[in-house]
Amino acid sequence: MNMIAPPAVTVRTGRWLGLPLAMGIVAATLCLHIALGAKFVPLDVVFEALTHRDPANFNHTIVWDLRLPRALVAIIVGASLSVAGALMQGVTRNPLAEPGILGLMAGASFAVVFGIGMLGLAGNTAIPMMAAGGSLGAACLVYLISRWVPGGATPLTLTLAGAVVTAFLGALTSVAFLLRENAFDSYRVWLSGSLAGRDLSMLMTAGPVLIVALVVAFALARQITALAMGEEVALALGVRTGWLKAQLLVCVVALTAGSVALAGPLGFVGLVIPHAVRLFTGSDYRWIVPYSAVVGAGYLLAVDVAARMMFRPAEISTGIVTALIGAPIFVYLIRKRSR
Amino acid sequence: MSTTVASRWYVVRLFSERIALRLPVAALLWLAATLALLVGIIAFSLTVGSQPTSLDEVWRTLSGETVSRTIDNVVWEFRFPRALAAALVGAMFALSGAALQNVTRNGLADPSLVGVSQGAGLAVVALTVLWPDAVGGLRPWVAFAGSLAVAVLIQSLTWTARGASSVRFILMGVGVAAMISACTSVLMTYGQIERVLSVLTWLSGSINAANWADVQMLAVWSAVLLPALLLLSRSTAAMRMGDATATALGAPVRWVRYGLITTAVGFAAIGTAVVGPLGFVGLIAPHAARRLAPSGVGLHLLLTATLGAVLVSLADLVGRTLMAPIQIPAGLVTDLIGVPIFLILLRRAARRTAL
Repeated sequence: MNMIAPPAVTVRTGRWLGLPLAMGIVAATLCLHIALGAKFVPLDVVFEALTHRDPANFNHTIVWDLRLPRALVAIIVGASLSVAGALMQGVTRNPLAEPGILGLMAGASFAVVFGIGMLGLAGNTAIPMMAAGGSLGAACLVYLISRWVPGGATPLTLTLAGAVVTAFLGALTSVAFLLRENAFDSYRVWLSGSLAGRDLSMLMTAGPVLIVALVVAFALARQITALAMGEEVALALGVRTGWLKAQLLVCVVALTAGSVALAGPLGFVGLVIPHAVRLFTGSDYRWIVPYSAVVGAGYLLAVDVAARMMFRPAEISTGIVTALIGAPIFVYLIRKRSR
Repeated sequence: MSTTVASRWYVVRLFSERIALRLPVAALLWLAATLALLVGIIAFSLTVGSQPTSLDEVWRTLSGETVSRTIDNVVWEFRFPRALAAALVGAMFALSGAALQNVTRNGLADPSLVGVSQGAGLAVVALTVLWPDAVGGLRPWVAFAGSLAVAVLIQSLTWTARGASSVRFILMGVGVAAMISACTSVLMTYGQIERVLSVLTWLSGSINAANWADVQMLAVWSAVLLPALLLLSRSTAAMRMGDATATALGAPVRWVRYGLITTAVGFAAIGTAVVGPLGFVGLIAPHAARRLAPSGVGLHLLLTATLGAVLVSLADLVGRTLMAPIQIPAGLVTDLIGVPIFLILLRRAARRTAL
């Protein structure tokens, strides 16, 4: 009787099997997301609408014009933010790294608010561009601050610098709001991170960029594993670390900016998902990155359902729910690290 | 009675040296100077606004004369309580920061950064949105309970087998603050719109609406809390040398710590209850006081209080004049000033302890 199963092979098949399983769960959540809402659309009607659209059927209109765009936004934003968080955690070797905590979201939001209010920019191309500029600026600022502090860019200094830059840009955003109160009324909801009222036009612009950035992230994943082991190890393994970091920065900025343009600042998604994924995949980024994308998509779909259903008929912003779930996990991670 | 000059301290010896007082001259001078500055700022803030008033008219109004019905009304009902509230609130936040920094022995502690102000905020928003019929006088108590709960939560989360420590406390505060803000946002989106609107300006730290009742409450609470803090300050001096030394010197370390947390929370909670969360004042003022003049703990606290008062009075003045008629809440102004200073402090703190 052979009691010893070959462990490496088991783990590998587990990882391979997990991916379609996770995708299946995402698909189920997607159906749930489309079915639930102010008006319940039965699941068989959802399938019928998706396969044979009948423009005269009211339920089909709801599915195609309201629920489906929102679900697609949730999927792509959830995947993008989770992958961005995973990349940042790999590069900075900081378990608390995430676009929200390290100030990239605040940079993007501030740039968008400033661009709309002060420069009069608007539109589907201008908003993602402004968001990209803002998050790039914030990323550089946070990095420079944490380098400037003696001791260098440690997890602690990076996190503190991120918190402080977020506070500063948040105050500037509030001032911009106060100065142009009427212009911003419609952005109030957006600024708390919401998927409500999204149409497909912004998705058409930001979506392709996000997909390209995701593909690039998948391609770079192998080298991130080396980088996460430390700069020297990565160099010894033949990784051009400087070039890789530059590519990853562009990738993270694109993922963050596109997400902010689509859904506003959604905090803590990029923190929670990679950590949850790591429980299953271990520390190999070839697995962490794709799993983060799939699990992140499912997570944001589920959170969005919760945000719509919790206090019916009122709807709370999705960003609030992600913070409510994410902040305790942040606290847990600090506690675990410092033991 | 004889007096001698020692390099930085002025030593007063009484009753043939049975009582000797070391007076830090520089600190006393700075205290007088900041008090004068405070009076100057308040005087100036009484003259500016949509109804410009000359200093002479303000002076005559304050001394009881009726210059004109409008000026009388503007100065007594709007500008004067607002200026006093700004000064008092600034002093309270500054003292709260000083006490928190002493307890945590972390120079980066500030009531708004570590969630204590957010705790008060959540409690007050909950009261306003969920039980709007509750008595307004309940507000400071509710704010106090909210802040205290958060302070206890963070302390217990920070404390591990290796003991409580410095920067982790701040990081923990950042996380807890994020969660509490999210809870507040839930109430804001879910609550009835007219109740929400009434707390909206309050939440960004605005002194617009301060009236005499607020000033009275602030003054009463300061009169209770400031002596308590000064009483505790003797033991604080010993605790700066570490818990073991302080215990050896006879300081009741545990009780002093509880006392300091309670007063810190009290100051922050009452300040927040009146004007909303004001960031970074509690961080800057104690450091500035220490930089300006070396002094004993008690005088340091007084200097901290006057500096905090100057800071918030100035922030309020700038906020309401810079972009007039739009009023920028003082809380936003202190955030904008506070962040660069926080970074400088972070750099200095890191150099000393290498984080």
